[in-house]
Amino acid sequence: MTAVEPRRRLFRVPDRFAAFGAVLLVLIVLSAVFAPWLAPYEENDVRPLESLLPPSGAHWFGTDQVGRDVLTQVLYGGRTSLVIAAAVLAASATVGVTLGVVAGYAGGWARDVIMRITDVFLAFPALLLSLALAVVLQPSVTTVILAIAVTWWPWYARLSASVAASVATRSYVDAARCLGVPASVIVARHVLPNSLTPVLVQLSLDGGGVILTAAALSYLGLGAHEPTAEWGLMVQQGQTIFTTNWWVVTFPGLAILLTAFAFNVLGEGLRGALDPRRTVR
Amino acid sequence: MIRIRDLRVAYGPREVAHVPALDVGAGECVAIVGESGSGKSTTLLAALGLAEGARVSGEVTVCGVDVLRARPRALRAIRGSKAALVIQSPQAALSPTTRLGVLMRRALALHGVTGAPSQGKTQVQGEPADVRGGGPRRGIEGVMAEACEAVMLDPAILRRYPHEISGGQAQRFAIALAIALGAEVILADEPTSALDVTVQAEVVGVLRRLREERGLALLFVSHDLALVSTIADRVLVMKDGEVVESGQAAQVFTRPSHPYTRELLEALP
Amino acid sequence: MIMCAEGVTLAYGKTPVVHDVTLDITEGGVGLIGESGSGKTTLARAFLSLLEPVKGRITYGGRDLRQVDMKAFRKAVQPVFQAESLDPRMSVGRSIAEGSRDRAAVPALMEEVGLDPAMAGRKPHQLSGGQRQRVVIARALAVRPRLLILDEPTSALDVTVQARILDLLEGVGTERLLITHNLAVVGRLCRTSHVLFAGRIVESGPTEDLLRRPAHPYTLALRDAVPKLGGEPPVARGRAESAPADTGCPFRLRCPLAVPECESVPEPREVAGRRVACHRAELVLTGLAGR
Repeated sequence: MTAVEPRRRLFRVPDRFAAFGAVLLVLIVLSAVFAPWLAPYEENDVRPLESLLPPSGAHWFGTDQVGRDVLTQVLYGGRTSLVIAAAVLAASATVGVTLGVVAGYAGGWARDVIMRITDVFLAFPALLLSLALAVVLQPSVTTVILAIAVTWWPWYARLSASVAASVATRSYVDAARCLGVPASVIVARHVLPNSLTPVLVQLSLDGGGVILTAAALSYLGLGAHEPTAEWGLMVQQGQTIFTTNWWVVTFPGLAILLTAFAFNVLGEGLRGALDPRRTVR
Repeated sequence: MIRIRDLRVAYGPREVAHVPALDVGAGECVAIVGESGSGKSTTLLAALGLAEGARVSGEVTVCGVDVLRARPRALRAIRGSKAALVIQSPQAALSPTTRLGVLMRRALALHGVTGAPSQGKTQVQGEPADVRGGGPRRGIEGVMAEACEAVMLDPAILRRYPHEISGGQAQRFAIALAIALGAEVILADEPTSALDVTVQAEVVGVLRRLREERGLALLFVSHDLALVSTIADRVLVMKDGEVVESGQAAQVFTRPSHPYTRELLEALP
Repeated sequence: MIMCAEGVTLAYGKTPVVHDVTLDITEGGVGLIGESGSGKTTLARAFLSLLEPVKGRITYGGRDLRQVDMKAFRKAVQPVFQAESLDPRMSVGRSIAEGSRDRAAVPALMEEVGLDPAMAGRKPHQLSGGQRQRVVIARALAVRPRLLILDEPTSALDVTVQARILDLLEGVGTERLLITHNLAVVGRLCRTSHVLFAGRIVESGPTEDLLRRPAHPYTLALRDAVPKLGGEPPVARGRAESAPADTGCPFRLRCPLAVPECESVPEPREVAGRRVACHRAELVLTGLAGR
């Protein structure tokens, strides 16, 4: 009557890959949160006389065209980029998963209608739709968030619809139906929780993509604008002088790369760790 | 064919199987019975050197090869040809995009079976010479057709893909593959548990015939006592990694000496 | 008569899987015997009102399921699926109380099915297969049903565990429809039985008669394929791999007794106290058909 090894592997041996990504991401988030304490200078501390200084003891990452410390701007810029990522993912997952799970469980015409709507959104290239939206609305961080979320949620709807459709065929769902549990409760109690694992993995894989897209929009002048510090914006402003003053572009670019990398590693690691085939019993 | 002495298999600190002695001779059928977690499948895999990540000690000889000390190449050679493993659901192990015939031809080529008369493979005793190409049907096609007929499969099945055949056919194809490769001993892990009883009866019939006609040795792992009692010469009963009783099948099933065997027998509906 | 299927045809999409089945769930336990692909689980889903017939009707208490008060029906008819029918993320105590919404009754229910109430907080993967099966039974019993529809309740379990679960099922005082491929289990729990082949009932009658003297060649093949302790090795009759025939008797391509007459559909008829759909039933009954 003893149950052997009741725990899931995830909690016993954390996947090394996932752990690495998570630690990296936590460090990035902490550096953004504590930017005011970590940064050697004030945000947007314009000093025209110290413009375009190469990296040195006083300015580790050098200074930009108007004499702002690049390290300081990168740290503050992380706040914008991470807020954009978090907001986009939260919004698109909430909308996408809700619609997806309902579509997947209900099936029939409800599924058809919801899936056709996602098809319409998916028919436009993400960046193009974001561009159009950003042109119509005022360029701002909020616009970026809205624009990316609009193109992002259909992926979550599709993913969770297919997962929910398979969960809906499990015999515990049938058992709940036979117990007279209302459909809304079945969705909330059984289908949703059991559909979340792949969504979680997708969320962490997507973090990097969102930051890159946000950076691209800012780079095109359709997102964050002065004086908001944002990585994509910094890259855009520095690109014309890349050959002579490489540091202005390179450090925010590296920050984007590193964050995207951390998200991806975490996602890949989670995918492995949450895979049911890898759980013990 | 198979000789096991004091085999111990452990994962980490936990010993999952201990078999003091087990012998399977040519034409014999020996069964290991037990419930889930008894260590019966582990024993079978360890006998073929397939217990990955486990500490295995003792002495295992299969077709003259010392399994626990042989080099990987020697092991692969006997695993492919002389000793064949038959698992519960072979369909999952078959590449879905490859026709069965292609699959079989590749396996034969890999192990150097050509079906040519000059082939230096050991002849299975009592087997007519034409299987190896002396008869009217020469070559690899002949070997393949012969193997299919030995398991009562229409050779036309070789043109199909794995998903186009039923579970029973897949199981018999797995056995046919072993026959074509010249297997002398088959180690089967619950070969019929995933099948309907009427289909199980056919697969069991095939195994019995091969045993009688070709002197095939069979080591059979099953949870089904009734089935085992009808086909096995000798039986080992395992529980929690230990052999609690072993002996002639008739003896074990009519006069069980261990209380656990009695419990198993009484549990039969 | 608790529930009835009257000329029921069931389909997934356009593919019919159960054809024109008429079956009464009477008292004393009813067995539905079939192998994979026979349509037995589909039929069970229809009795549970999880699937609507495309033709015919299913009645409860003499009324069509489409007109029955679903709330009362759900309390009266409960499924017992395999042990895997528990939500992996839900504690077993919560699972048991899901239908009754009465958490206070959980300990008593757990004791009733032979579980330690202290286990209520565990997740399904922390229990053994037999324990999980008991939880599934407790969940069904929680609403005090009149009829249990048991779909292969023991086939994934070890024999010793299976025996104890069967003891438990025999002890609970509900009516039952047992769906299984296992003839021995039917013999223990069901007074009458129906044999399903390719979505059609080929033979119905008292379980004992069916097992002792089958009248349909498929029932015979099934019975003889079951290994008996210390007996002869199981016998394969006919070719078990042949697909069911689309016309005439569905079993004829596998049947060792098939004659040209079998190309016409055999009407179910009364032979020796049971209903059998076979032109050759008399021959099968003589027992000469075997060897």
